[in-house]
Amino acid sequence: MKGRELLGAAAFATLPWVAGCLVVAGIVHLASIFIMPQLAPRDAFARMSAAAPLHRQTLLPVAAPGSGGPFEDPAFAQGLCRYDLSQGPVRVRATLVPDALMLMSFHGRQGQIYYSMTDRSATRGKLDVLLVTRRQLDVVEANDPEDELPQDLRIITPTLEGFVLFRALAEFPGEMEDAKKRIQSIFCGLDKDLRP
Amino acid sequence: MLHILKMIVIAAAGVALGLAATFVSVERSQNLGQGAGLWFGAVKAGPWTGWPKTGTRDADPYARAFFARTGETPLGITEGLSFIARQDSRGAWLEPRCDYLVSGAVPPARYWTLSALDPDGHIPPGGGERHGFTSSELLRKSDGGFEIRIAASARPGNWLPVVSGQPFLLMLRLYDTSLSANAFSVVERVMPSIAREACR
Repeated sequence: MKGRELLGAAAFATLPWVAGCLVVAGIVHLASIFIMPQLAPRDAFARMSAAAPLHRQTLLPVAAPGSGGPFEDPAFAQGLCRYDLSQGPVRVRATLVPDALMLMSFHGRQGQIYYSMTDRSATRGKLDVLLVTRRQLDVVEANDPEDELPQDLRIITPTLEGFVLFRALAEFPGEMEDAKKRIQSIFCGLDKDLRP
Repeated sequence: MLHILKMIVIAAAGVALGLAATFVSVERSQNLGQGAGLWFGAVKAGPWTGWPKTGTRDADPYARAFFARTGETPLGITEGLSFIARQDSRGAWLEPRCDYLVSGAVPPARYWTLSALDPDGHIPPGGGERHGFTSSELLRKSDGGFEIRIAASARPGNWLPVVSGQPFLLMLRLYDTSLSANAFSVVERVMPSIAREACR
């Protein structure tokens, strides 16, 4: 009886310590998970930064043995445009080939996708996107003609820096060169008219 | 004095435990397949697992941490959905010494592709020219269905080669699909099956 009481008292005394340990573990775990996108050295943004210059549409190599990032589809030609909105709004403009699958995803500094679309979003075969900060959007809108609707899609980016990924499907292996040409025909760069 | 020492030890143990939990969450391991952190938001459909939320603004912190580590750029939700299979339809691990038959139906999508990748998601070296099929280039059966044979040596019909002795996974991608991220309950019935055939 006495022994059991002692054991109970000992367990009661260590309980706060165990709880404290778990609380510390929980905080450290959550903090490290949340901070990972900011600190990871080999994230998508780092990979893309090494792969292309700023504000220029760049053809990426097709996924092949020993090249490309993880989980890329070898049936796609890929293009990349990195941007930094501190230098001004960025324009993406494309004339699309009818019925040819083209994918576009817009990524922020931590690689997160904040917008994505396919060639289906194009109006009359053309695609016109303007990437802006909220402040830049105010300036752009102030200069809009009053009697007509803007013809471009304006997207406010969550971070100043980021990148746009373009993927064009080669339905058959022999169409890969065509897919690459479709990627290269896209314009992506600082908007000359809107430069500060 | 003893008290302070004890506190330091407890705090250190807590830090170690927390970091260990993070490591398990973001590290890919053979048994778990993906980082444990990708359990959140994972959708199972037969042998296939998809992460429909990773391509949206709602990606959870674990998925973000995981992708930050691997450098992967998942598909945006409007672009398509991707599914990974590391096991066959009976739940056995995919083995490079066995042949597999992928057949059945695929959810409605403008295009889809099936590719064989190594366990880290890269194209395996030494596998020849073909690493996958697009829905356009498949030889179809008269009823519109398809059969893809996965094997290390040549097979008639749609043959997707894998490298002998090299572990692999299968990736199914649905592009421009009408399937919404929230309507996955209906998916299982229309996902292709992966049946093991002869092993060597």
